[in-house]
Amino acid sequence: MTDADIAQLRTEFQQELARVASESDLQAIRDKYLGRKSGAVTALMKAVSTAPADLKPVLGKLANELKQELEALLAEKKALLGASKAPVGAVDISLPGRTPPIGHQHPLTIVREQIEGIFTRMGYQVLEGPEVEDDYHNFEALNMPAEHPARDMQDTLYLDGEIPGQGRPATLLRTHTSPMQIRYMETHQPPVRIIVPGKVYRRDDLDLTHTPMFQQVEGLVVGERITLADLKGTLTTFLHELFENRTQVLFRPSFFPYTEPSVEVFIGCVFCGAKGCPVCKRTGWLEILGSGMVHPRVFEAVGYDPERYTGFAFGVGIERVALLKYGVDDIRLFYENDLRFLEQFPL
Amino acid sequence: MKILASWLREFVDVAVPPEELGQALSMRGFELASVDRPSSIVDRPSSIVGQPSGSDAVLDFEITANRPDALSVLGLARETATIYSTPLRYLATNGGPLALKALEKKEAIGVAVTLEAPDLCPRYAAAVVDVTVGPSPAWLASRLQAAGVRPVNNVVDVTNYVLLEIGQPMHAFDLARLAGSALRIRRATKGETIRTLDGTDRVLTPDMLVIADAEKTQAVAGVMGGGHSEVSAATKTVVLESACFNPKSVRLTSKRLGLKTEASARFERGADIGAPVNGLERAAALLEEIGAGRVRAGCIDRYPSPADARRLVLRRARLARVLGQAVPDSDVERILSSLGFAPATHQDGWSITVPTFRVDVSREIDLVEEVGRHYGYDRLPATFPALDSLPGRPDARIARDRVVRRVLLAAGLSEALTFTFIDAPMAAHFSDGSAIVPIGNPLSAQFAVLRPSLLPGLLTAVAHNRHRQRQDVRLFEIGSRVTRAGESRGVALAWIGEAGMSHWSGARRNADFFDVKGVVEGIGEALQTTFTFKADHLPPYLQQGRAAVVLANARPAGSVGMLSSAIMAAAGLAANEDIYVAELDLDAIEGARDATPLTVKPLPRYPSIARDISIVVDSTLPAETVRGTIRLSAPGTLVTIREFDRYQGKGVPDGRVSLSLRLTFRSSERTLTDAEVDAAMKAILGALHDAHNAVQR
Repeated sequence: MTDADIAQLRTEFQQELARVASESDLQAIRDKYLGRKSGAVTALMKAVSTAPADLKPVLGKLANELKQELEALLAEKKALLGASKAPVGAVDISLPGRTPPIGHQHPLTIVREQIEGIFTRMGYQVLEGPEVEDDYHNFEALNMPAEHPARDMQDTLYLDGEIPGQGRPATLLRTHTSPMQIRYMETHQPPVRIIVPGKVYRRDDLDLTHTPMFQQVEGLVVGERITLADLKGTLTTFLHELFENRTQVLFRPSFFPYTEPSVEVFIGCVFCGAKGCPVCKRTGWLEILGSGMVHPRVFEAVGYDPERYTGFAFGVGIERVALLKYGVDDIRLFYENDLRFLEQFPL
Repeated sequence: MKILASWLREFVDVAVPPEELGQALSMRGFELASVDRPSSIVDRPSSIVGQPSGSDAVLDFEITANRPDALSVLGLARETATIYSTPLRYLATNGGPLALKALEKKEAIGVAVTLEAPDLCPRYAAAVVDVTVGPSPAWLASRLQAAGVRPVNNVVDVTNYVLLEIGQPMHAFDLARLAGSALRIRRATKGETIRTLDGTDRVLTPDMLVIADAEKTQAVAGVMGGGHSEVSAATKTVVLESACFNPKSVRLTSKRLGLKTEASARFERGADIGAPVNGLERAAALLEEIGAGRVRAGCIDRYPSPADARRLVLRRARLARVLGQAVPDSDVERILSSLGFAPATHQDGWSITVPTFRVDVSREIDLVEEVGRHYGYDRLPATFPALDSLPGRPDARIARDRVVRRVLLAAGLSEALTFTFIDAPMAAHFSDGSAIVPIGNPLSAQFAVLRPSLLPGLLTAVAHNRHRQRQDVRLFEIGSRVTRAGESRGVALAWIGEAGMSHWSGARRNADFFDVKGVVEGIGEALQTTFTFKADHLPPYLQQGRAAVVLANARPAGSVGMLSSAIMAAAGLAANEDIYVAELDLDAIEGARDATPLTVKPLPRYPSIARDISIVVDSTLPAETVRGTIRLSAPGTLVTIREFDRYQGKGVPDGRVSLSLRLTFRSSERTLTDAEVDAAMKAILGALHDAHNAVQR
């Protein structure tokens, strides 16, 4: 008997132990190696006693170590076998559960409700208006008389003929939510503090950045002391709330026929951190809102005294906000209703 | 509007890089679209600006519709001068690159001008120049090209140069081609035609203004000249036209002819009535500078009713009230003066003379904008408007739509949004042709009519998903429908494929009528409306036998059921599959809503007793009728009837069905006894037997 015999015995045991799959396999291997009568290790121990006296202490130590090692391995295997045996009625908790069939809200609804929520907190009344409109409310009362060049800014979709509208027969699809400014002021006296979400229509072809139908939220505040500074404070706060960060906000002169002064509002580009990239045309800024002080002619059209009252109005595109918030690069995705897209938004 | 930085610098001495200049103008309302540095720019030799070669750039601005004056180098230079508080260099008759050649007013210059329609042309000026037609010098051609204008010849190029430089559109007629050496500014006659410079024959109408000679039309006023009197290599003498046309007239004419030009773009926004003679004087100086011709002494200036300078008052208090902050007087005066306004002291602020080129400034608020814009919106404080009353309640439709949306999301449908316009053939399946509202100027056949129903859009969305390996599709939409009767708000849903959620533990079941009916009932419950379902008057797009009309308060409120197979194909879906849909008119339901405020009923104090029965009846007998018979024959202690099984097959004769019902009895006064319930059951079974030949199983 030599060291090599002991090493071989160890290797054989390890190989057999690896194949053990049940309690009975385990008992068989225990008997084979450690059995009192015919166990291989038992035989080895016996052989040690007959070895030459000078080798005895070394071989005896090795044999003892082997025996202890085997017992430890057997115990470990026994514990392992016991653990994999399931208690009565146990289930495989790694299988999928039964998910309740909850649908997904459209991302534009999510954004719209978020915007409504911010303005509701600021004390605004949320209203809706008709989508089919008449020329007076969509254009004329908003300081865009017939043949006004500004009408070119909003290419209009007209109805074939007239249909019943609100107050006047409807002849077109509204190009903005601003007609609701007129409708509200025609029937209410200041103070005014409303927002109007809704669909609007333009004669634009469908492409990466345009859809012939999109959604806006209009805002209107009228009172005796409303200023451009109030517009700045309100819209800055709104944009900070909406984009959940202290995004930079820029106010720049612009032109809309129904506001004077007119102001375009920009936020620091969300794609490049306002450093300048192709999306923001290297300016670091993205246009997000159109706004301004209500034009005195609009007040005159609804019978408000422009000397007594001032006000501000604004409009924000819901798709535009959603594109920026969610990093969507194709506006058409909002109207394709592909479930692979819709299901990415929270329940 | 594309302009060359070096050209701008002839008018204002600002030595900032072009990009920075562009951004500064952007912040004043002239959006910078791009900055280009073309390599082909030829410097103007006589330029007063020391223009380092290669540092020039083309700035492209988007000019808003209210600022025709900014569609010129001079206009943008004026804004630049104001931004940088630097003086503007004016065109003057003292030579140099900004020279004007003074022209005395004089009739005898070799052309007879008759202004016959002063309402459409308030001012018309003309000069005569003897010319040597040839190419323009490189620097001039290069400036036009930078602005996107194609060089033609030195004479035409100078007219275009003046248009770009000071915003005054001009036109040159070959005098030899003008019959009678005459120019008549008149309305077109009916059916009159002209071949314009672009080679197109155009038919004119009497509301269009034209420039004619003694015989026929030579130009469409303010839009485009005619080919007959075009300047050519053979031209020896030209008549230069520099006029101011009525904006509405030019806009209508340009729109009607489908012809937009640099000139029409400026006239329709409003040209400077003070500029026509200046335009001639500038063109005369340039033609002489480049050796293209010599102007004959004098010019004609038809200006029958000279307009008075517009005067406005800007009140100091009003300015502060609109902006939310007072602006120092010195800033107000500096800004307005630099922009060309003439402010004079007034008891409340300033009395201001508006320059003729600012056609957009007509009331005090316009001056407030001018001051605010250049003072800088970034310098205004950011405040909140005071809330002095409770805002009104939100539109009731918003809360209602939210409730409906919640029910549908909870039922496992996802929200879709589809376009309000659809194609006409699809719409025809869902409404009478006479009720459909077409778009007058549709973008395409795909978007030709307004949707009478939400279903076509939803079916398109279902097909979209189906074509992308998505078998189970559940979608809903809340939105407007439009018919000849007007606009209404509806909700619709479409359900194809699996009823529940697929799971490893069980078999799948496809959605059927009762899945969609259940969702509709859920909406009814959420909106406190009781729906009833009838199988008659079904819309044609639903399958007979598997569909129902929904009534709210006995009035039609929608429908529910299986889509007919004919529509499946039209919607791009396989005809052999079942798709269940529903559509409800939310406005109609609103009217049927139970407005009684909710009060909670006390919970029952006594236990209930339930009895199950199974009866065999004719398979065509509606469950509703069975329930009715039970109600009639039962005591008041019967609280609910619920069907829990319906079986046809082995053990049940053909044409008959086994219906199992659970009847629950309860009294609010005492505990019921078995004997009482047994007696009630006996009466009920008897009644069922008598009325429906029902046999207990």
